[in-house]
Amino acid sequence: MDRQVDVVVVGGGSTGCGVVRDLARRGLDTVLVEKGNLTHGTTGRMHGLLHSGGRYAVSDQKSAEECIEENRVLRDIAAHCVEETGGLFVKRPEDSEEYFQEKLEGCRACDIPVEVIDGEEARRREPYLARDVEKAIALPDGAVDPFRLCVSNAADAREHGARIETHAPVTDVLVEDGEVVGVEIEHETGPGKRVHREPGTTEEIRARHVVNATGAWAGNVGEMAGVDVEVRPSKGVMTVMNTRQVDTVINRCRPKGDADIVVPHETACILGTTDEEVDDPEDYPEEDWEVDLMIETLSELVPALEDARTLRSFWGVRPLYEPPGTGTEDPTDITRDYFLLDHGDRDDLPGMTTIVGGKLTTYRMMAESISDHVCDTLGHEATCDTADAPLPGSESEARMAELMDEFGLRSPVARRSGQRLGSRADDVLDEYDPNPIVCNCESVTRAEVQDAIGEAGSDLNAVRLRTRASMGNCQGGFCTHRIAAELAEEYPEPVVRDAEDELYQERWKGQRHALWGEQLSQAMLNHLLHATTMNRDGDPANLDEEVDFGAFDDGTESPDAGGTAGEAGTAATDGGRASDDAAADGGRASDDAAADGGRANDDAAADGRRASDDATTDGGR
Amino acid sequence: MTRHTEDDGDAGDANGTTETSGGRDTGGCGCGEPAPGVPEAGRDEQPSIFVPDEGEVPEADAIGARGSGSVDSGGAAGDPAAERAATDGGVESASSGSATGGTDSTELDPDAYDPVDVFPGGDLDLREGADSCYKCTSCDTSCPVAEVDDEFPGPKFQGPEQWRLKRKDDHDIDESITSCSNCMRCDDACPSSVPLSQMHNEARGQFVERQMEKLSVEYIRNRILANYHTSASLASMFPRTASFAMNFGPARWAMEKVMGIPKERDFPEFATETFREWWKARGGAKVENPDKRVAYFHGCYSNYNTPEVGKAMVRVYEHFGYEVMVPPQKCSGTPMFANGMLKDARRHAETNVENLVEAIGEGADVVASCTSCSMSLRQEYPELFDLHGIDDLAEHTFEALEYLRIHEDLEGELDAAGGLDDEREFAYHAPCHARNQGLSRQAVETFRDVDGVTMEDVGDSCSGISGTYGWKEEKYEKSMEIGAEMFEHMEDADGEVGMTECPTCAMQMEHGTGYEIEHPLQLLEQTLGA
Repeated sequence: MDRQVDVVVVGGGSTGCGVVRDLARRGLDTVLVEKGNLTHGTTGRMHGLLHSGGRYAVSDQKSAEECIEENRVLRDIAAHCVEETGGLFVKRPEDSEEYFQEKLEGCRACDIPVEVIDGEEARRREPYLARDVEKAIALPDGAVDPFRLCVSNAADAREHGARIETHAPVTDVLVEDGEVVGVEIEHETGPGKRVHREPGTTEEIRARHVVNATGAWAGNVGEMAGVDVEVRPSKGVMTVMNTRQVDTVINRCRPKGDADIVVPHETACILGTTDEEVDDPEDYPEEDWEVDLMIETLSELVPALEDARTLRSFWGVRPLYEPPGTGTEDPTDITRDYFLLDHGDRDDLPGMTTIVGGKLTTYRMMAESISDHVCDTLGHEATCDTADAPLPGSESEARMAELMDEFGLRSPVARRSGQRLGSRADDVLDEYDPNPIVCNCESVTRAEVQDAIGEAGSDLNAVRLRTRASMGNCQGGFCTHRIAAELAEEYPEPVVRDAEDELYQERWKGQRHALWGEQLSQAMLNHLLHATTMNRDGDPANLDEEVDFGAFDDGTESPDAGGTAGEAGTAATDGGRASDDAAADGGRASDDAAADGGRANDDAAADGRRASDDATTDGGR
Repeated sequence: MTRHTEDDGDAGDANGTTETSGGRDTGGCGCGEPAPGVPEAGRDEQPSIFVPDEGEVPEADAIGARGSGSVDSGGAAGDPAAERAATDGGVESASSGSATGGTDSTELDPDAYDPVDVFPGGDLDLREGADSCYKCTSCDTSCPVAEVDDEFPGPKFQGPEQWRLKRKDDHDIDESITSCSNCMRCDDACPSSVPLSQMHNEARGQFVERQMEKLSVEYIRNRILANYHTSASLASMFPRTASFAMNFGPARWAMEKVMGIPKERDFPEFATETFREWWKARGGAKVENPDKRVAYFHGCYSNYNTPEVGKAMVRVYEHFGYEVMVPPQKCSGTPMFANGMLKDARRHAETNVENLVEAIGEGADVVASCTSCSMSLRQEYPELFDLHGIDDLAEHTFEALEYLRIHEDLEGELDAAGGLDDEREFAYHAPCHARNQGLSRQAVETFRDVDGVTMEDVGDSCSGISGTYGWKEEKYEKSMEIGAEMFEHMEDADGEVGMTECPTCAMQMEHGTGYEIEHPLQLLEQTLGA
């Protein structure tokens, strides 16, 4: 299947998805290839901040100006991916007043609308803020869902004729006569939707131009083409809290530092972050002290974080880049600006452009500038409309009242579905009746899961990213099997089992960094539920050999079977034993003990002979 | 929600800006140590406070009030006068002038936060309570309503799930909250101290306040049911007429049609002499004893309908040498919580807390004969309201039999009294609210060794009436379905007389079996010969 397309975009993060959408809308024949899911690399591992630009208003005003401009664009074209939370830069007593003023001036200089509020007003808006916060700058930071954003860009690209291939790593960059002419990819489970257990294939895609949008991995792709791209990947940790302690983005107003932001994201809050250079974007240590640092430091801003439940932590790598020879020591000093490297000019290797640096908020602007460059190179005349054309889902607002009445959804479910699906809500929800909830924590219904399966095949992690199913406080313990069951109609059992295992493992991965307090209990309950109730660690169905059913005890030989059946069912008994100690000493202090004691005794009382029964039936409870 | 902020145009200005709220900071006296609250289990880490949402208050005014309530800035930590944040949101506390020894519930920890204000109108932010939920579903499996009502999504959804999905500007409550009967069995079932009933109460309050049509028959009916205190006090003026009229066939038919009150139910008879009338006529307490005092919280039902329970309480306690006080009181709030009428409940709570705290100041403990009343004073009050002394009240409140079992040698007394000459057999049902206080076995245990008394526990099912739940036409069938197990077990038991601490459970028991129902205090009076 060797044919030539106009452009191959390598990398399904925000930049790649933005580029493929832009080029497709400009009428070019484009293919996006991504080695994992969309957002698999860096985009899916960020804290979801839609910058107002305030963060860069002192150090990097060019970035700040771009941010506020794109911030406004995204509220418009990607309304269903953005929550307009607003943001605060808060000053604690030990933070520099001088810097506060600098920040304020910087914001004004960059045309970022700001408002200075005192500590009381800040706490009125966000009651969990520390009592010694002195004042704050309020500005239009927001929260953005990077998954939904990328998926919507890709969907729009596909509607405009592009082809999107996920789970298709590039294995080679094709260079002929000193020119890049395409890439070789490996379809892990064949082209199209990912389906577990389908055999892999390879494919050469020849293209007039290749865009390397692999961010922190840009060096690897460069290497395949024989050029050097010096990305300086830098890792950062993000910690997810179970609930929203704040509904506004909270930034610490100080020059730079680790652990200085809390972003309300969907049902959770995400704490960020650290900035530490790593050698390999695929392989770097994930250390506990980083998580501790997040919680400890950010508790200075929001004390409630200290005792709040943590769901998981994850790390991402920034695709930082600086032109050769700059030699910045500290990664936090490396510019957040993006760089477009035309390998024709730079390395005398025409046919490929690499984009590095940058940030999610300005992804569309970057995509526009790369697309301009590609169109120039290819001599294609077309104008960019991505700043005005809404993404699929953001054409109009979901009509909540109708979702409740028409589709019989309970109000929080309707709200969440409406927010996730935006203008697609009607179409998606119309497909299923009845439409039970599959993921309770995040209120995701069957219709939404099926819609995502339609797009993503048996890849349940891709379903998760589209729907948020399994991203709530049970972290999949109570729903991975239900989500997997949704595959069963279309896919054979082994595929469903593999898909289930993969999702469950992915959920476990992040929880490893939150194994204390409530999440530890949750993890234990999840484990027991899956290992014992579902027998997933020893399920005969997962064995290769036949099950020897004869080896099971069918119960016919049991000497006591039915022995006490005649007495069963007389629950109305006294009991009233001396051992009953559910006495009354009042107050809930003792309630747990007392109530439990009372309950246990009630049970015993209710069926009278249980103690003796147990002795004879082998403790069969 | 509109934001009110000070002039934000100029940084220099903002530097010196302070909210003009000091003048309103008069909610409490600021005296005393912070009292450890009741309950003391994990859930009491939850903040409490329901502030009536006065829709008509001008925005700026409301914010001033709330600003002073929610923000007790670190700088003021050393200043005793400012130490008590006016968490009432500036609503004047009925007891602020009280001379008695109540303390305030607000923690003085400078890091303490105040959850009021996250949602508009000073509603409680209970999203944090969702942290304790492991989704284990014990609450759902213990819920008697979910068992019979497929449309009811259950306590887990109503509580931690719904709260976790909330956002500040996005807070409507699903209508299904009105199907929760407030039996609070989920509280008891939860292995992880999720404040389920608090979440339900708060959500129901928000739903009724914001989303329920105030002119709807359902709202008016619920308001009337919730304010039983009011209707009962009216009815008691003409008890015989009222008892007849309320149960008069055509009237009941009309009530069902117009009000949605099921005609199958018999209204309880009103006593010709209320407990308080009897108390007055009797000349009050017969025993004076400054060392052993109890303040009796009789509640509405013992006053208007079953004064014999109140009389038994007085006689039994006087038998043990207690001085019984009967302070002025209103409804405990239980039916109001169950119907989301938090404003009504708060109004009544102000009177109750003021008078009962005064009695506590005079050395009394508070004793209730209705387990829902004691539940309310102990748990719901401190979880939902922040009134002066409310934690002290919670700590000093007991159920009548519970209190005697703690402080007196009941067993010895009963033994000495020698039991009953004529054998009596009872079918005892433990009310859900008794269960939550750890009292589900107290009656059976008290009387098990008394000669001539046989008492059988009819099991741990819910009676199904849950206060006002079973008094709603649309809930009647479900109420009876829930109660079926109890009825069956009562029939199965030897006793032909029912026994329970809860007046509405008693109504249901009587309705389902036709048995006479007594209160344990009545039997105690009889067995002690008090």
